[in-house]
Amino acid sequence: MRKPQKAELAPFLRFGIRSTFRISLVMILALMGTCAFAHHSRSMFDQSKQITLIGTVKEFQWTNPHCWIQVFVPDADNPSAEPVEWGIELGAPVELMRKGWKPKSLNPGDKVSIIINPLRDGQHGGLVLSVTGPDGKIIGRPAETAK
Amino acid sequence: MMTNGIRRTAVRCVPWAIAAGLIAGALFPVGGQTSSKDRIKAFAKLPDWTGMWELDAFVGQADGQQFSAEGQRRLKEYAAALRPSFTPEYQAKYDEIRKKIEAAVAADPDHPPVTHDPLCDPPPFPATSTPGMYQWRVTPEEATFISTVGAVRHIYTDGRSHPPQDELWPTLMGDSIGHWEGDTLVVDTVSTRKRLYMGELSGFFVPTSDQLHFTERIRMANHSQIQIDYTAEDPIALAKPIHATIVHVRVTDFSRMVEETDCEQNERDPVVNGRFKTVVK
Repeated sequence: MRKPQKAELAPFLRFGIRSTFRISLVMILALMGTCAFAHHSRSMFDQSKQITLIGTVKEFQWTNPHCWIQVFVPDADNPSAEPVEWGIELGAPVELMRKGWKPKSLNPGDKVSIIINPLRDGQHGGLVLSVTGPDGKIIGRPAETAK
Repeated sequence: MMTNGIRRTAVRCVPWAIAAGLIAGALFPVGGQTSSKDRIKAFAKLPDWTGMWELDAFVGQADGQQFSAEGQRRLKEYAAALRPSFTPEYQAKYDEIRKKIEAAVAADPDHPPVTHDPLCDPPPFPATSTPGMYQWRVTPEEATFISTVGAVRHIYTDGRSHPPQDELWPTLMGDSIGHWEGDTLVVDTVSTRKRLYMGELSGFFVPTSDQLHFTERIRMANHSQIQIDYTAEDPIALAKPIHATIVHVRVTDFSRMVEETDCEQNERDPVVNGRFKTVVK
């Protein structure tokens, strides 16, 4: 597996939401199906945050019930450190097909830039919002909220 | 013991009994079967609902399963229309469930409690088309709903009634019978689970009694749209029936039914102690 040549981790808050409101938001997300993921709730992801991951694809899992991109992301503060592996969750294959994805849209070694809503619990995972492939083109249909 | 005279009479009667049986079988088919010509005529009277369909709110969904602005607007409309109005007894049950969920979220907001069934199982009626795409198979005897998330509804249109009460028990899809009024399929559904879940349309399960009863009037409003006038009634749990018009639109960007809920393949959001625990590696 090739190591990433250049990578950047750039987390930023999309909204300035105070913690009390964030808890309320979580409740609403948990209670209201309007925010439901296709096969489970999305509320484990912090939808008030967007993070841009730039790294190298380890594996593209074209699987039910969800596809996943495993990507190595170097530590921006310590480029000599071992890259961190992130797991990025997408929809089911049939959903992705309709958005322009294919089983081989990503391959190991591809340089990618991925915008995600990260997991709330701090694990290195998140919900995909937008993926830019090695040719600089966006793959699939990015979320309107992706910045 | 049979005497010889009776035996001879019985033997003589056998050919007549066979002939009578054949004639009766032709005139009164067993099990509702009809001749091929009659069945072809019956097919010709049915509307053409072929194609693939999905809830209108899903149109234009983006990665991350983000709804379009129009989709979000439609979901809000559905949520408002489908909001239950409970009897005092069931309002208290609903409030209790809601408090428990809120307490569970507050206790561990990073790992939200599971408030609905993850769709490794088919979504229960009436959430059968939320989410996923689906097809109709319309025959004279039955209209069958088949979705990409594994939901299958059998709506019997052969004139049968619901089974007697002592032969019914709550199931994912309940028991559905229907009849055609012109091009409209009128469906009556009973014996669903004792909780109401509309998936994307209204959120989590709400408590209901075993009196929960659904009526649907399903018709193709135009080539691109199937409209379902939906009513849920429960005289014990609901102070008034829930009415909504649900719109399904023709899928034009995909033409294959591919299942999407094979969770054994790569389930990385297992439910542990009632909460989602995402496995990132």
